[in-house]
Amino acid sequence: MTLSTISVADMHCASCATKIQGALRGLPGVTATYVNTARRQVLVEHADDADPVDVLERIEALGFHPNLAGSDTTSRGQRELLKRLGVAGLAMMQVMMFAIAMYAGAFEGMDEVYRRLLEYASLAFCIPVVGYAAMPFFRNALGAWKQGLNMDVPIALAIAAAFLVSLRHTLSGSGEVYYDSVVMFTFLLLSARYIDDRLKARFEGTNATLAALPDRALLVRDGATEPAPLAAIEPGSLVWVEQGNQVPLDGEVTEGEALLDESVLTGEAVWVRRRPGEAVFAGTVNRGAGFQIRTTSAFDATRIAGIADLANRAQAEKPRIAQLADRVAGVFVPGVLTLAAATWLGWQLVDPSQAFVAALTVLVVSCPCALSLATPAAITAAMTRLRQRGIVLTRSEALEQVAAVDAALLDKTGTLTVHDPVLVGMERLEGTELGDDELLDLAAALQRHANHPLARAFPEPRRARVDQVQVVPGAGVEGRYGERRVRIGHGGFCGAAERHDEHAVFLSLDGVPVARFRISDPLRTDAAAAVEGLKQAGIRLTMLSGDSPERCAELARLLDIDFAARQAPETKLEVTRDLQARGHRVLVVGDGINDVPALAAADVSATVLESSHLVKSKADVLLLGRRLGALVELVVTGRRARRIVRENLAWALAYNLTAIPLAALGLMPPWVAALGMAGSSVLVMLNATRLLRNPRSRSAAAAAAPPVDPTVPPLAAVQTG
Amino acid sequence: MAILLLLIPVSLVLMAIAGVMFVWAVNHDQFEELERHGFDILDDSPGDEHS
Repeated sequence: MTLSTISVADMHCASCATKIQGALRGLPGVTATYVNTARRQVLVEHADDADPVDVLERIEALGFHPNLAGSDTTSRGQRELLKRLGVAGLAMMQVMMFAIAMYAGAFEGMDEVYRRLLEYASLAFCIPVVGYAAMPFFRNALGAWKQGLNMDVPIALAIAAAFLVSLRHTLSGSGEVYYDSVVMFTFLLLSARYIDDRLKARFEGTNATLAALPDRALLVRDGATEPAPLAAIEPGSLVWVEQGNQVPLDGEVTEGEALLDESVLTGEAVWVRRRPGEAVFAGTVNRGAGFQIRTTSAFDATRIAGIADLANRAQAEKPRIAQLADRVAGVFVPGVLTLAAATWLGWQLVDPSQAFVAALTVLVVSCPCALSLATPAAITAAMTRLRQRGIVLTRSEALEQVAAVDAALLDKTGTLTVHDPVLVGMERLEGTELGDDELLDLAAALQRHANHPLARAFPEPRRARVDQVQVVPGAGVEGRYGERRVRIGHGGFCGAAERHDEHAVFLSLDGVPVARFRISDPLRTDAAAAVEGLKQAGIRLTMLSGDSPERCAELARLLDIDFAARQAPETKLEVTRDLQARGHRVLVVGDGINDVPALAAADVSATVLESSHLVKSKADVLLLGRRLGALVELVVTGRRARRIVRENLAWALAYNLTAIPLAALGLMPPWVAALGMAGSSVLVMLNATRLLRNPRSRSAAAAAAPPVDPTVPPLAAVQTG
Repeated sequence: MAILLLLIPVSLVLMAIAGVMFVWAVNHDQFEELERHGFDILDDSPGDEHS
């Protein structure tokens, strides 16, 4: 029996898991499957000679993108933590119960023998807590000798001191015991740490979704192809790329001619031909027949892997957040220790019997754990939420700026619209005996031969037969339809007297233009909803475009936003600067090289996945999905994150400032200090995890609403005349 | 009240057993997936003894 781990990054819910499990049931050689949605993994137990590739294909057939994964070790730490948490929790229940009995006994009188029994029982439960559950704190505190003071130093000190003093009092049979404080403190701090861990694991889990390249490629060896894992293919190998598949690795064409959709890398919607000797890139899609490449890169050195790295840049910046926590520790921890020592000295003068309790309480209560957790936890939670919704932040600071945005500049082509031309209308020009259907069919038959992006707007031809087809580069397609010469292409090519219009295609019969087809880039399906959501969020919207004013006006009216037409890169930059000069924080969304200056000047810049590499490297935010509603989600989440960070900081500061004087004056028992301090850490973490849930407010409900109907009318509704 | 002298040590033993069981459960993947198994009840297809 062999166990294979398959990661399925796009498996999000329990019903996906059930589907996968059902599909794998009964697959020959597979003895058991186990689907884990939290880690997005499928564990398959199969006979040694069974091929896990069959399993991958089964899952792929359901529409997922599975990958064979290496064994993972990430969850081992989490498991350790869970065990410690469980032990501390069980012990806490008991010790708290004994503590209540002891408090009651102190008031109502209790036989010495029962008091000692309860103390020893508490001690028994406290030993595994201090000796096992609290170990991480002691370990980190010892590490402080080498790496400088950290937050765990006062924690470890407090736990150790409280436990040892209690132990002495128990053995000697007189004096206070603080076992309840020790276990509660440990349990609550472990809880905060556990939530933090879960949050980070979720972030990393959602991170792996970007580069959804196939896991295997068809390696050509001795004239035959065999599937091989991508990681095992060395540069210089021959690889066969089948029709409809992604090119698995960067390389150059050696055999056949490639017709590629390279939009994932370049943002250009035009399909390109690559002849033998020319370079092709991983991630591009083969739209023509199969071809063979010689690979030039390893799987982790491809251009698309570079983009994935870019998306991970924010994660590489995470140490900066951790640094912040360290800085807080560096400033506060010496202060905390000094304060505790000062309290002890002060009480020595007044009442030495109170000195230890007061010093311990100060040590516990002033620990700035909540303060140091407040910001990173909220940022991690917000980034996880965004990543789950297909929004990648390439700089973690961008989140703070997003919250402040109050104006947005949206590029038209490629941002509000998609590069996927559709036929929006047909007009008859001169009298001809052919019917509308036949004209359209004829055009479709000719366009089938064209390699132009606009040709994709036409449907599959039904009856019309054209022969002697010739493609005239830069003009159109010509052919014979029965006895007649037909042409399709731009106005000049077809004898139409209209000025050049890149969104019109003409059909001519024997040199006479008979029909004009209007083609347009459609609006993104949810553009209207997204615009509405942004407006509700109080953001002032302007559409920028290099297009003509008429075309922009039409779209702007539809969406009810301001627009500026015929924009050059410099003027886009000017508009951005102008808004900023008037005190606005500007979000710029664009996809073209011409948007780069404006993107660079913007407070926050966002781009779509289809944009070119240069644009992506400049943008703070990458929208992976096709929905523009992601922008609303971005703004709403940014604002919620800002609010939660402020709440957390305010709470942590207020708590520390009010509790320290009380503790120093001996007005607070240690267990209250332990509850307050560790409890506020947990509170801060739970507050941060609120970001992962959906808000109930109305503006955010708009963001979650399904996209509205496409605003581009279907062909059937178009009038002819 | 003398019964406490017996019951408290008994509770100690019970808790120790509970602790051992919890650690065993964590080590045997019982806490790996808390969401999905609730959906198994909706799955009508015949058995798959491992999950």
